[in-house]
Formats: sequence, structure tokens, C-alpha cells
Amino acid sequence: MSLLELKNVYKIYGELHALDNVSLKVEKGEWVSIMGPSGSGKSTMMNIIGCMDKPSKGEVLLDGVDISKENARSLTAVRRDKIGLIFQQFHLVNYLTAVENVMLAQYYHSMPDEKEALEALDRVGLADRAHHLPSQLSGGEQQRVCVARALINYPEIILADEPTGNLDEANEEIVVDLFHKLHNEGTTLIVVTHDPEVAEVAQRTLVLRNGKLHKEIVNQNFTGKIHFDDMQEFRKEETK
Amino acid sequence: MKKRQMYMRMITASLMRRRSRMLVALLSIAIGATVLSGLITIYYDVPRQMGAQFRNYGANMILTDADGSFTLSDMQQGTAVIPADALVGAAPYRYENVRIHEQPIVAAGTDMAGARATSPFWRVEGEWCSADGQILVGANVAESFRLKAGEMLTVSYTPETAQTQEDETVLDNTIDLEITGVLDTGGPEEDYVYMSLADLETLTGESGTIDVAELSVSANADELSSYVDRINASVPAVKAHLVKRVTASETTVLSKLQALVLLVTIVVLALTMICVATTMTAVVTERRKEIGLRKAIGASDRSIIGEFLGESMMLGGIGGVLGVVLGYVFAQQVSINVFSSSIRFQWLLVPITILVSILVTGLSSLLPIRSATEVDPALVLKGE
Amino acid sequence: MFLRMIRGTLLRQWKKMLMIAFTIALGASLAAAMLSVMLDVGDKVNQELKTYGANITVVPKSSSVLNDLYDVEGEESAGAYLREDELGKIKTIFWAFNIVDYAPFLNTQANLDDGSEIQVTGSWFNHHMELPTGETLDAGIASMRSWWELKEGLWLDEQTTDENSAMVGAELAEAQGLHAGDTIHVTGTAADLLLHVSGIYDAGGDEDNQLYVPLNTAQALGGLDGKVDSIEVSALTTPDNELAERAAKNPASLTVAQYEIWYCTAYASSICYQIQEVITDSVASPVRQVADSEGAILEKTQLLMVLITILSLIGAALGICNLVTASVMERSSEIGLMKAIGAQNGAISGLVLTEIFITAIFGGVIGFLAGFGFAQIIGHTVFGSAITMKPMVIPIVAVLVVLVTLIGSIPAIRMLLRLRPAEVLHGGH
Repeated sequence: MSLLELKNVYKIYGELHALDNVSLKVEKGEWVSIMGPSGSGKSTMMNIIGCMDKPSKGEVLLDGVDISKENARSLTAVRRDKIGLIFQQFHLVNYLTAVENVMLAQYYHSMPDEKEALEALDRVGLADRAHHLPSQLSGGEQQRVCVARALINYPEIILADEPTGNLDEANEEIVVDLFHKLHNEGTTLIVVTHDPEVAEVAQRTLVLRNGKLHKEIVNQNFTGKIHFDDMQEFRKEETK
Repeated sequence: MKKRQMYMRMITASLMRRRSRMLVALLSIAIGATVLSGLITIYYDVPRQMGAQFRNYGANMILTDADGSFTLSDMQQGTAVIPADALVGAAPYRYENVRIHEQPIVAAGTDMAGARATSPFWRVEGEWCSADGQILVGANVAESFRLKAGEMLTVSYTPETAQTQEDETVLDNTIDLEITGVLDTGGPEEDYVYMSLADLETLTGESGTIDVAELSVSANADELSSYVDRINASVPAVKAHLVKRVTASETTVLSKLQALVLLVTIVVLALTMICVATTMTAVVTERRKEIGLRKAIGASDRSIIGEFLGESMMLGGIGGVLGVVLGYVFAQQVSINVFSSSIRFQWLLVPITILVSILVTGLSSLLPIRSATEVDPALVLKGE
Repeated sequence: MFLRMIRGTLLRQWKKMLMIAFTIALGASLAAAMLSVMLDVGDKVNQELKTYGANITVVPKSSSVLNDLYDVEGEESAGAYLREDELGKIKTIFWAFNIVDYAPFLNTQANLDDGSEIQVTGSWFNHHMELPTGETLDAGIASMRSWWELKEGLWLDEQTTDENSAMVGAELAEAQGLHAGDTIHVTGTAADLLLHVSGIYDAGGDEDNQLYVPLNTAQALGGLDGKVDSIEVSALTTPDNELAERAAKNPASLTVAQYEIWYCTAYASSICYQIQEVITDSVASPVRQVADSEGAILEKTQLLMVLITILSLIGAALGICNLVTASVMERSSEIGLMKAIGAQNGAISGLVLTEIFITAIFGGVIGFLAGFGFAQIIGHTVFGSAITMKPMVIPIVAVLVVLVTLIGSIPAIRMLLRLRPAEVLHGGH
């Protein structure tokens, strides 16, 4: 059974078919990119997968459960338990420190645990910045806090919406390396982006056009190589 | 770490780290609470303070003879019934016909300090009498005999025995008194002369009795009639009456004044509370995005409402405490400036102000929080 | 384009703007209501204080000293009287408008059939007058003796009953066994009359032993046609100050300018002076018991209202400031964008200020009307009469609203101008 399966999903706003009969499957541990120009239905798809929106028609199976029929309350619960979200705009609570932002996700999920939250920040290489406010962090660092927050509750899927959209190249690379690391640890990754460089490192790239699945590119060169050490080195250079 | 600890940590972080925004909200709440505690304190204190002003109208109770001889000690028994802090003044009066420059004049013997307290509207050109051997003359008397303060005045009295027997050989009693001042009241007092009771007794040779006692009592209409009843019941030697003209009018005017302050308080309070409510609405609406984010990472509506409400109520509590202090300061300033006396603090207002402040802030943020939680997180997070 | 942008904001952000307008309306209504009440409270309380009776008495000049002295001895004086035909002139003085009520009095002695001597006082009860100004006035003791308690019957109504009616004091009525509706035979020095008892009153004072009759009846009884002993005047007065006291002693001691001020201010002493000008050979003097107390109470009440008004104005001002600041700050990203595409600081401030002011004017006008409504509610509930609208409230409220809105916008605008577009458009928050 696939971890996530969309069966003939439609999302219709009046005349506009934001999603037009889309079907896809994502297996556990897979790293999938969703690409497409503006207005292609990327965001709609991301919202539906992220349990923030419901399709007009069709089924969305997450872990075998059809979430398209759930109400808002249980969608929140699904989102909390199974999905980690990463946003283009980072969306950190600006009066909470990095570690507190990570703890916030724990708080809503189960129990806040500062030690675990600090470990998560350490995994994204931010142990020393844990007690800084978002305004004191660079864009890349904020996005890494966001990644730490997304993975703190061991979600089934990490769903990233243009994770590198607000980052410079150096930080983009750090985040992509983090994705490699997460992938190697077995996390399912779905990355919505319009940046081909970010998209093509995934195992599979789905291209949307006019709400339809336009084509699917499988990355033949995907090695699953551990970029972890490179990233460590890179960070050292950056902090100098 | 316990959930509650994280909860407190978030709320304090929000209050402490968003200092400028929170100060804005806190200021508005504190103003609301100040208005509440300040105006209500004043409202409760107005009858007492204004009542004191109404004592300018002079005596509102008189004691007269009931058993054939009215003495100073009868009067003291009567006044003893009234609590000392309510009794503004009490003055005994004894009236006799005397002669000044061979013209008949009414002379009153009284206790000058008491008369001054019961009749604050008396204007004296010159000085009030401060000792025996002095006399105050009414303005009309002063004018007709061309009397001035500082002069000596001979007052004569024909004893009743002489009056009845028309015995030419009995000489009038006389006494020389120093005029300390001229009395201007615009009323019948201007036709009289006033001296101390002791001087009048010396002049007439009869002592012990008085005709009437005037009392100025600071109390409302109900209290006044209960004093009258108690005096009439417990002191058989005197009969107490209310001066209807003063008491009836005071009740009318005072109740209107209190109604005025009450209504003004209500209007001001209602408007300030709405002001607090709009401020809280603005404060919450500003954070729709944050609410959307919390929802996106899996917060239930209930926990979001709990957090924001907790924050608002904490803000309300702090504002309430500030308001109690500021309100007291305000009421005190008003009291000192207007009435030149300090205010009576209503302790009950402390919990009431804080509670109302918490409730108003909580309730006024509840609505916008609820509507914010209904928002689709995807929309809030995507668009500006 | 400027107008288009403003229209855009007002139309698209109407909810937010409505909230600002609403708060400003609240503040303005509070200010308008409190100012109206504050400015009118003096007159209103002054009216209420009229229940204490007259604050000015007028007596004939020559009698003011000796007549009273002879009265002490109980002798009938041959002294002077005021003229009844001059009574109407009191309503023609400079401060005629402030004369709320007045009544003439004529005391005369009369005997009842059982031989007891009583004092009969002639006065107006509800005397109807057509004033030269075209107004009408019902003057007399019906309103000037508001503390009289009617025990039986009705107040004597001059318009409906004939002249041979009387009101009897409670003690006299008890002594004589009189009730409302009875008739009483009274023998005066010049005539004897059969009077109809229309009501019995309890005054709580000397009047309880007296008989009150219409003025003409008393004149007939005493043979004193067209004569009046004294006049009691109830006037709205301004509390005395140092100038008024000096003038009361001797108006000649004032400079021309001071005299003008004094004459044209409703001090008790200047009203007295003006009454003396129109009533021949009269002495008018303030009744200190009433006039001074009125002064004190008025002053306190006004001061109290001023302070409460100041508190509520500060409250309203801070409330508006708050909201304006908060709502302008909210728009940081929009303004960052405008800066990014090249808007000058001046243009941005202009835009924000214009928007806020359009909203403020809108809210201010509505608030002003609402506030006036509040004032009327207060007036009717407390005093049973409308609060007079003082024109000066309009500019005061307008200036307050403008000032407060401006002050409220300053910190927000300063903050907006300090924004760097990059921060706003990146950083996310």
C-alpha cells in the first residue's frame, strides 16, 4: 500500500479547474518533487496533501485512510500527527525563540520536550542558535528552524512548499542537503517548487500544467548519496 | 516539561517580547479600568462630599422646648444622639428684646463657634466674636445706628419686673460690648445683634434657658428623620424638627446630582469598555497569521483559543491592577481639588475592577479569536 | 492616482477602516456628550437649586431698617411700600432672562371670628404674565415654595379660582379645625372677606400659622391698594468673585471696564443692582443663605464635571491613538512594497494620513451626533429637560479628533518610514 494516494482528484473553483483529474502515488520513504508554472495547481495540490483543503471530487488516501471525507477537526489531527510542513515564508512565531518554535509543534502534538527540541535543532546544525528569536536569524537559519519543527514529531510526510524560494544559493544548498539527510533517514519528502535545480535532485519529479499531471520525470542519476559531511563542512565555512 | 509550563512560557514570551504592541493594549485596558474604579469611587463618595457642601445652607434640624424649660444640657442630650462625625455644628439661641440707643432691638445669645458652624453663609465684615464681651451687629442695625466694627456699644435691658410694674426707680441693666463685626446675611438676621450666651445672661440676670437650638447635620433624608425620631423618643425635654425647606431641597438636588454622576459614569464606562473591546479586536486580528500557522502545525481550535484567551486575560488582570491604582489616584485628586478632602476608598472595588477588566478583555478578544480560528490556514499562510 | 489609491484602501480595507471610524466615533461621542453636559451642568444644577427658594429679596428703601425694627414690637408701620405696577419691570432688566421666578409679598394683620389675630400674606401663586418680549411667565410661590407639603386640597390656582380664596397653614388649620373646601371669615383693617380654603400646607416653619391669599385680596383686607411689602426673586446667578464683592459694596469704586464686566455678568450683586434700577425706592439684596450655598455647590459640581470630562477625554484620546497606531502598523508590508517601487516618504505619509483623516471625519461626525444624543439622554433622565447645545462644543470636538488622530498616527508613520523595503518583503513578517 502506498503511503499517499490521490485518485482522480478534482478541485474546482467556479469555472476554474485548479486540479483536473489528478492521480498519483507516493511510496513510503520516497522523495518526490512537484513542479509547474504559476497557476498550474501546485499550491492547491500542496494544500490538499497537507490536509489544509479538501478536493471537490476524488479520494485522497493517506496511510490507507481517505482524508477527503474528514471534517476540519480531524484534518487538524491528521496534519498534527502525520505531516510536517515547511513554508516558503518560514512562518515562525516571531516572539518565540528557535527552540520554543520547535517546542510549539511538540506542544500541540504531545508533550513539549526541550532536550529533544534542542537535538532537532542540532540535526539541522543550529544548536548554537537555539535561543535566538527569528528576527536574529538569517533566512537560511529560519528555514532550518522550520525544518527542525517539521520533523520533530517524526511525521509520515514532510511537505515543503517552495522551501528555497526566499533563500540565496548557499542557503538553498544547505536546505537541499538537509533533505538528502532526511531522505537517507527514511523520511518521505514531497517538495513543491518551481526551481528545477531543487526539483531535479528528487527521485521523481511530477510536472503539473493547467491542473493536470503533465509528465513525470524519474531521476535516473539519483544515488541517495550522503551529502551530510559536505554540509557540515559548508556550514563551517559559512560561519567563518 | 509539563504542558502547562510551555503554556505559561508562551504567554509570557508573547507579553514580554512583543512589548510595544502589548503596551498599547495594556494602556487601553488600564485606562478602562482606571475609569471604572475612579468614577465608581467618585460616584459612591459624591453624596458624602456634596452633602458637606449642602451644609452651607445652614441648620437642617432645630430643637425646641418640650417640657417648659429648655436648658443647654437638654440641648446637649439631644445632640448626643447624633453621631459626632455627622454633626457639623450646633448652636443654642436665646432671644431677648433689648435697647440700643433707646430703640428696641432683638438680641440673640448664642455660642459663636456653633453659630459659625451651623450658618456658614453668614458674612461678617470685621471679625467674628471670639470671647465674651463682644457683639456682632446685623447690617441693618449697624446702618440705622451708624455702628462700625471696633466701637463700643452699650446694650440695655429692662428686667421684666420693671416692665410689668412700670417702676421708674428700677434701672435698666446695661452691658458694654465691643462690636467686632457687622453681620450680612440678606435675611432677618441683619436686624438682630448677636452676643455670647453668657453676656446675655449677665445682661438679663436670668440664666439657664435657651429658646431654640439649631443643628446642622450631615446626613441623608432617611437618616435625618431617624435622628429626629430617636431624639424625640429618648430626650423628653426637647422636640426635634426638620427644617423642611433645607432638607427637602437638599434631597431633591442631591439625588439629581448623584443620578448625574451615575449616568455619566455609565456612559463613560460603556464607551471605554467598547474602546477596550475594539483594541483587543485589533490586537487579535493582527495575529491572524500566527493563528493560521499554529493551526497548520496541528493546533486544535480549543488550544488556540485557550492560549490567546489566557494571554488576553493576563493582560486584563495587569491592566486591572494598574487601573485600580490609577483610578484611586484620580479619584483622590478629584476629591482634593473639588472638595478639599480625601476620598473614602472602596476596598470592594479592587476585586471588582480587576475582575471586570479581565472579563471585558477576555470576552472582547474571544470573538475575534474564534473568527480567526475559523480561517483556512492555507489562505492565511499563502497570501498577504 | 492618489485619490484612486485612497479610494482603493477605503473600499477594500473597509472593515479595518470601519473599526477605526467606530473607535473615533466612540471617542468623539464621549467628548461631545461630556462637553455638552459639562457646559450645561451649571445651568441645570442652578435650576435645581431654585428649590431652595428666592436668592434675592427686594424691600422698600426706607423700610429696610426701621420698619423691621418696629415690627419687632408688633406695631403696624406707616412705612414705605413698593409699587405693584412696577413688578413687571423686573423681567425687563439686562439679566431678565436669568430671572426664573419671582413673587411679591404683602403682610397684613387680620382677625378671625373667634377674635384671634393672624397674619395674612398676600402673594402670587401662579400669576400669569405677558411679557413685553412676547413671552409668558407663570410666576409665584407655587414654584418658589417647592418645599411646602400640600396636606389637603389643591394649590390655589389664580387662573381658575376667584380672588376670595386662601391657603391655610397646617397649624392654623388644626387650631381652627379648617379643611379644604371650608370657608373662613377674615376681618382686616379695611375690609372683611369670606375666603374659600383651597388647600392646606405644611411648610415646616412660621408660615404654618399664616394665611396665604392672592395679592389683591390682601391689599383689600389691609386697604393697601397697589402696594407690596417685599419681592422675592429667584435668579440664576454666577458665583460671586472678588470683583462682584467689591461692586456689591459700592459700584462706583469700579473702573469703567470693570463696571461693564460686572454689569454684564449674572452676579447676584449685579442683578440686585439692576432690580434697584427699575423698582423705585427699593433695596435688593442677595439672600446669603441661598446665594452663597448655590455658589459653592455650583462651583463644586462644575469642577467635578470638568475633571470627569478630562478623564474621559484622555481615555477617549488614548483609545483612538492606540487603534490608529495599531492599524497603521499592520500595513507595514503594503508600505514596504510601495517603498520598493519607489514611493517617497512624503507620498506615503500623505496617503496614510489622508486615509486616516477621511475615516476620522466620518467617524467624528457620527460620533458627534451620537454624543449629542447621549447628552440628551442624560439631560432628560437626570434633569427632565434637554441639554442646551453649546456651539463651542463643535470646534472643540473637531480639534480634539484631528489632534488625537494626528498624534495617534505619528509613531506609526515614523515606524513605517523607517522600514526598509527589503526587510518587509523578505523576512516574512
